[in-house]
Amino acid sequence: MKVVIANGFHEADYIISLFNTRHNDLIVLNDDEYVCQYLSLKNDIPVMRGKATRKTDLKEAGAENCDLFIALSEDDYKNYVACKTAKLLMNAKRCIATVINPKNVEIFRELGIDTAVSSAYLLGERIKSLTSVENMVNSLSMENEHIFIDEIRISSDLEVAGKTLAEINISDLGSVASIVRNEKALIPNGQMRIESGDKVLIVTTAENRNKAISIFQRKKK
Amino acid sequence: MASPRTIIIGAGRLGSTIARSLNKSSNVIVIDCSKEKIDRLGEYSGFVEVGDATDCSLLEKCGIKTADRVIAVTDDDNINVFLADLCTHIYHVPDITIRLKDSRKKVLVDERINCICPFDLSLDYFEKREEEVKE
Repeated sequence: MKVVIANGFHEADYIISLFNTRHNDLIVLNDDEYVCQYLSLKNDIPVMRGKATRKTDLKEAGAENCDLFIALSEDDYKNYVACKTAKLLMNAKRCIATVINPKNVEIFRELGIDTAVSSAYLLGERIKSLTSVENMVNSLSMENEHIFIDEIRISSDLEVAGKTLAEINISDLGSVASIVRNEKALIPNGQMRIESGDKVLIVTTAENRNKAISIFQRKKK
Repeated sequence: MASPRTIIIGAGRLGSTIARSLNKSSNVIVIDCSKEKIDRLGEYSGFVEVGDATDCSLLEKCGIKTADRVIAVTDDDNINVFLADLCTHIYHVPDITIRLKDSRKKVLVDERINCICPFDLSLDYFEKREEEVKE
């Protein structure tokens, strides 16, 4: 895979370490001379000094027809123009831009950048998902956030306390993977009754996750 | 007829001169991240805003959603290109003009955008002069 990494310092160093294998054709471009030297020495690869927003520099670096173009500058607008130049003039197949301003995640997508990543945006989404589910003590996402495993603590005021899994029936939304009771993991079956103090582990897809959790979080009337 | 709502982004020499020339006839606001540049607008008596125009919250505060015209003349071509796309595709501003020092970047923006390229203007001038001399 031909990968172009434009600008960035420690982020670039990390991404280089991920892609620096014999299977990838790695092209690294940076507008800072010191960073070029640092990245080149540390990773033992050539790093070209140039502007990623300039067609001539991208061409000289060999960025044409790259499979992946990653823009890591600290300026959102530079990453936008670099990605646009790569897409329109270098025929890049896929572009990823980092953004400092989390509002630019949606804007970049609307403007045609394949992926925009903001650490503040991801943090915000994470906090929102955690605070939206009271009692949830732990969660794990897998397969690029398509599958979730959530651990829900059951209290006596919840509707599900005292009901069997067959009565609750979340089979359309996901499945109960285990019930942890008195520090023992129980393999669930339909006749198993959920008790106050249990921890229920449910496996769901991203689209069904909130619905499934809300069933376990509904309070008694 | 009401004067068009105009947003000028960049208060350098070009931006401030345009602001002063539109001052009497238009409903104008000038945005620049440098307070010093805003303070040097001189005879211009319209609205001003100090801040980062690439932040959509600031643009919305300055009325981008109802603007008739945007003139992006910051010193950085990349900012002007980003603003052109933002104003065209997100805010649907009908009349957008940007300055590009590097005229090769014209290919990055929509055909509806008016691009002022000092390099192209100079070249046009000398080509015309050359023709006149030949005649």
